[in-house]
Amino acid sequence: MKQLLYTEWLKVKNYRTFWIMLLVAIIMIPAGNYVPAQVMSSRDLEQASKMLGQSPFGFPTVWQTVANISSYMTALFGLMLIILVTNEYTFRTSRQNIIDGWERRQFVYAKLAWVVLLSLIALLTAVLTAVVFGFIYGSQSFSLEGFSYMWYYWLQLLLALCIALLLAVLVKRTGFAMAIFLGYIMMLEQTLVLIIKRVAGPLGGLLPLQTGDELLPFPLVGKMVDSMSTRYDDSVYLIVLLGYIALAIYLVFRKVLKSDL
Amino acid sequence: MSILSLQNISKKYGAVQALSGVSFDVPKGAVYGILGPNGSGKTTLLGIVTDVLKADTGSFTLFDQPATARQRRQMGTLLETPNFYHYLSGYRNLEIAAAIKQRGHDDIARVLQICGLTARQHAAFKTYSLGMKQRLAIASVLLGDPDVLVLDEPTNGLDPSGIAEVRELVRQLAGAGKTIILASHLLDEVEKVCTHVAILRRGQLLKSGSVEAVISRHDFLELAATDNTALQTALAAYPGCTSAQLNGNVVVAVFNDSPDAAAVNRYLSQQGIWLQHLQLRKKSLEKAFLEITNDPA
Repeated sequence: MKQLLYTEWLKVKNYRTFWIMLLVAIIMIPAGNYVPAQVMSSRDLEQASKMLGQSPFGFPTVWQTVANISSYMTALFGLMLIILVTNEYTFRTSRQNIIDGWERRQFVYAKLAWVVLLSLIALLTAVLTAVVFGFIYGSQSFSLEGFSYMWYYWLQLLLALCIALLLAVLVKRTGFAMAIFLGYIMMLEQTLVLIIKRVAGPLGGLLPLQTGDELLPFPLVGKMVDSMSTRYDDSVYLIVLLGYIALAIYLVFRKVLKSDL
Repeated sequence: MSILSLQNISKKYGAVQALSGVSFDVPKGAVYGILGPNGSGKTTLLGIVTDVLKADTGSFTLFDQPATARQRRQMGTLLETPNFYHYLSGYRNLEIAAAIKQRGHDDIARVLQICGLTARQHAAFKTYSLGMKQRLAIASVLLGDPDVLVLDEPTNGLDPSGIAEVRELVRQLAGAGKTIILASHLLDEVEKVCTHVAILRRGQLLKSGSVEAVISRHDFLELAATDNTALQTALAAYPGCTSAQLNGNVVVAVFNDSPDAAAVNRYLSQQGIWLQHLQLRKKSLEKAFLEITNDPA
């Protein structure tokens, strides 16, 4: 594994596109949380949130708030992964790596390492953002209550990145894979969720990324929406989400191990 | 020991039968030419051996063992095109190849030197000319000085001096006892270095084995005299001569065994024919190859 990681490191060490995208993706997490934090800490809304009994950017609610908002910034990490994987097909280095002495499964391990690494980078950034914002915008003292929302955020990231990986190995072409990925996570799935929810009720909440959204409602608003619609227990969404991750990884292995490169 | 042993390999791309039931063995120390016209299945065959393509049926071994990445790391392979990260320099690309082959970086300078890329080693791969890309691919093959080399059209994209250099390199490597598997449609390339050949046509193995056994190339004689017609008649009467044909200014005489030029000369002088030209020639591999691959059977 160490040798796989070292090789992947050599591939990106001098790859400027990668570092710029990573920088932007990281900055987007605190930046994306900054605007809502500013708005909600304005005097009027502060009064409102006090009446509701919790401030969204104060401990312990800040974990949930930041996890929820950050989950909208996942796309860039997915695009980075797509570039890292489709590059191998564009340059035909997916073949050369095997020819030179990797097993096909090692190629998959190397890319799964990126899934884990990128998701951990995003998680860490979100955790730091929550800690800093919690101290700046909240009046309560530090608390880890509700930190589990951060883990839900991480799982949803893992799933989004696994979907990106699957698309990359299936489609192989960078632009095409990016278009499908963005189209799906930004519009297509939400549309399907709404249609299915209308026709078949809470079943619509079981579409891949929606399982994560169901686990990550926005504080206050989420509760109000929840009371109006029927939904499954959190454990159902959690199990289905993990199931999707396992399925995506299985399909990636199947594709890479069985087909011509 | 067999370096590579293929048993009944078949592969289809949709309706196209790219390989059908190909079997042969590459012995250690051989320089094994895989010959065939474009589209005959050479690259498909090597792709299967290197695990980038999956055979539909059949099996193969490398170093008498089931093929895994460990065996591939002991081979230097250039398959079809030079495949490198465009945004990285030649040197950094070789670092990646060395890491995957689990060899140190200390050999990189040597292989760059052999392939004449030392001066451009830190330029990005995407700025290389076609010939330089091919040279980098050959450098990558040589990394770690493997005992087995697989070269698929190694002179693609090279200029005449580059082609000559690669041919010389292959000859040196063969001289050093390496096993080389060389796929090519450039027959003089193969003719000059190969000990063994396999000939493919439309995915079928036509012949395989040592060069002498596969391609029977009896020597023939090229002769000329003042009266070539008389020469022709005299040769036709010579025991063992199967044909004597006028070809421009010379008569080409073919025999059913290697001819003894001195004996032929003596015989002709006894017939009163004095030669102006006598040369022992070998049938070119190209001609022999075309005879085999054009044979409708």
